[in-house]
Amino acid sequence: MSGFLASEVMRSALFPSTLIAIVASSMSVMILAHRLSFLTVAISHATLAGLGLAVVLALPLLPTAAATAVIVSLILASMLRHQGLNEDAGTGVLFAGAMALGIVLLSTTNKNEVDMFGLLFGNILKVSENDQYWLIWGSSIVMTSLIWAARPWWSIAFDTTTAAASGMAVHLYRLLLFSMTGLTVVICVRLAGIVLATGLLVLPAATAWFWCRGLFRLWLISLLVSLIGTWTGLFLSFILAWPSGATVVLTLCALFILSWTVSWLRQTLFKDVP
Amino acid sequence: MSARIVHLNHIHVGHPGQWILNDINLAVEPGHFLGIVGPNGAGKSTLLHTVAGLIKPASGYVDLFGECLSRFNRRKLLAQTGFLSQKPGTPSALPLRVRDVVAMGLDSYTAPLWRRSMHPSKVEQALTLTDTDKLGEKDYRYLSGGQQQRVRLARALAASPRLLLLDEPAASLDMHARESLYSLLRCLCDQQGTAIIMVEHDIAAISSYVDSIACLNIRIHHHAMHGETIPEEIWHAMYGDHMHIVAHDSHCIGCHERMKS
Repeated sequence: MSGFLASEVMRSALFPSTLIAIVASSMSVMILAHRLSFLTVAISHATLAGLGLAVVLALPLLPTAAATAVIVSLILASMLRHQGLNEDAGTGVLFAGAMALGIVLLSTTNKNEVDMFGLLFGNILKVSENDQYWLIWGSSIVMTSLIWAARPWWSIAFDTTTAAASGMAVHLYRLLLFSMTGLTVVICVRLAGIVLATGLLVLPAATAWFWCRGLFRLWLISLLVSLIGTWTGLFLSFILAWPSGATVVLTLCALFILSWTVSWLRQTLFKDVP
Repeated sequence: MSARIVHLNHIHVGHPGQWILNDINLAVEPGHFLGIVGPNGAGKSTLLHTVAGLIKPASGYVDLFGECLSRFNRRKLLAQTGFLSQKPGTPSALPLRVRDVVAMGLDSYTAPLWRRSMHPSKVEQALTLTDTDKLGEKDYRYLSGGQQQRVRLARALAASPRLLLLDEPAASLDMHARESLYSLLRCLCDQQGTAIIMVEHDIAAISSYVDSIACLNIRIHHHAMHGETIPEEIWHAMYGDHMHIVAHDSHCIGCHERMKS
């Protein structure tokens, strides 16, 4: 442990990864409640288009990727509302289209300009000061929106029709939810990469889902799972010399399997149904 | 004459020649219990959704509490309305206590997290009214269909609304629960002056509780007050010529005259 804390690289990775764990686990509850797991896969792959655009036009990486993710999310939210397109079909179309655009854009650049392994699988050990600045700003926006809209989002997830009949501006709240999901995905890409970002956004709440009832408890346990998974994953990646993002996601998977097994045993052996 | 809670004026929903609702005119006053009956596809749920501001009519207007419902005042007006939709097709997978579901019906529930949203007394009151007070700490997902329906009704009642819009509230309820539900609704009208618009299929079950019944099939064919006979041609216009009317209860709105003879 002392070796881990003595490492300059690991110490500098601790703050951004903790920040990402907090934001990802908080949004994770809403992503599961609104069944947006597939959307996060699509947005994370769509960020490749944003990153390609940033490289081609020499724009800052994270802000361009964030803007692309938010735009893609808003297009999807509006497309579903106005065209009546099936949600997973719309997500699939955007996922493939944006990913293809990203590949084409990146293929036109010099291969040395782009850290493809870092983009695909994340690299929290190489966070620049500029990146950290954008992470803090992005996280603040997501957390403020969440604190402001958590209850309406929760209510809409439970029963959209009744929420709309109470006068709630359901469409605006959904647009906000989709755009904050997009922003959170970009934040997570820094730690786990395009391929694994969904793991950070789904696993914490999925692990907590078996153990609590109510928004706050779910949020708290999800946060706890995310922090334990991230810190343990970083520590394991240091001592085993494994890629940090993949190790964090693997640790979260292990926590999920443990949670599911204990919950299944509790229900099967002890017939303990809430 | 007391102020109208709901006033529908020449409401059209759909497209010319393919109206879902055609020229609907209705007025409901405080304490009035209106039942809406009609065959499948008659536009009953559409009518309720139009009153609840979920569907914008092609023409005509909806007045709620004396104000024309618009995008600018819908939050204020609908906050005084309780809505119970038909049972959702996909059951909610959210891990929620029954108490939390009922609290969602409070206007203050949507406040930001730093503000208090729960009013335990109002939640308790709604749970007691719907006879679900023993279920408060239970997980909503594991309740039976009938229990879930009563909890959803408690949610609609939590904010003590001036208007209740109910779409087949007795679905999934057994005979006894149905009777107590209708009695509760009648009580709310008489004691608290709540106006109720309720869609139901079974006219016989509700006829002794409601003040009037509107027979809807795209347009309102008849609006019968309590004790008034619904002419046979109205039934045939709504349900077709193959139906037969069977008298069964001296209090029935539709069968009143028939029972006397």
